[in-house]
Amino acid sequence: MTRADKILICIIMLASIVTLIPIFKNKMDSNYVTVKVSNQEVLSLDLSKDGTWDVKGTLGTVTIEIKDRKVRVVQENSPQHLCSKQGFVSSPNVPIVCLPNETVVQIEGSDEEMDTVIQ
Amino acid sequence: MKKMIYLSFLIALGIVFQIVESFLSLSWIVPGFKIGFANVCSVYALYLWGYKEMCIVSIMRIFLSSLLQGTLFSISFWLSLSGGILSLLAMAILYKLKKFSIYGVSIAGACFHNIGQVFAVCMIYQQFFMQLFLPLLLALSNVSGFCIGYLTLQIINRTKGRIQYGNL
Repeated sequence: MTRADKILICIIMLASIVTLIPIFKNKMDSNYVTVKVSNQEVLSLDLSKDGTWDVKGTLGTVTIEIKDRKVRVVQENSPQHLCSKQGFVSSPNVPIVCLPNETVVQIEGSDEEMDTVIQ
Repeated sequence: MKKMIYLSFLIALGIVFQIVESFLSLSWIVPGFKIGFANVCSVYALYLWGYKEMCIVSIMRIFLSSLLQGTLFSISFWLSLSGGILSLLAMAILYKLKKFSIYGVSIAGACFHNIGQVFAVCMIYQQFFMQLFLPLLLALSNVSGFCIGYLTLQIINRTKGRIQYGNL
């Protein structure tokens, strides 16, 4: 074992620790909300920040609220108001779809749960 | 002529090591983890002749063992080839620098083998889950590289009187 060997081992161990960091970091803030209008992404919001945002849908403005890592549509202009009746959503598998406004609000994250299990 | 016989012996040994090791898999520790005993032959060829012969031994071993296992040009073949080429490059460069002992060379080989494989997995599957194992694989490649270096050093020490070596 020469000194260069020991330096090499230290570098590899350091590299393995450094590559660990982004993995943990990703897990912390992996959840964010994407808002699409007519299949085009118009907004990307952090799920951990509370607040309300307005998006221009095809029939008028759609107001989206984020609170306690959940997201909902507060107000929109459509015949049946299905998406505002849906209420808060916290799962990445349940999108909020407002078809008259062509607006889709969806949580995206790495820790997706199982949708349904068919046996 | 004599050299060719030695080379083919080393290739045959490497093939046997690789196939036998695929039976006794250590993948339950981390997916994709192996000690890589077949690398003993490559490192031995490196110290016996030089990096050109190491490339011949390693690449022929990868081709022939995947041919015998029936995985030629399948995904596992490309994984093994990409890791092999990257580790060959790393080992040849470190050997040329002449500052590293056999341990450093084999540890770098093991480490870059893992990096190449993870890179190939990401390219082929277009998914990035294998990156999660990269830190663990890097840490474990120290262990496996040390094992390989120790084994090769033992082989070299025991055959010292009979065969002429390059710079050790």
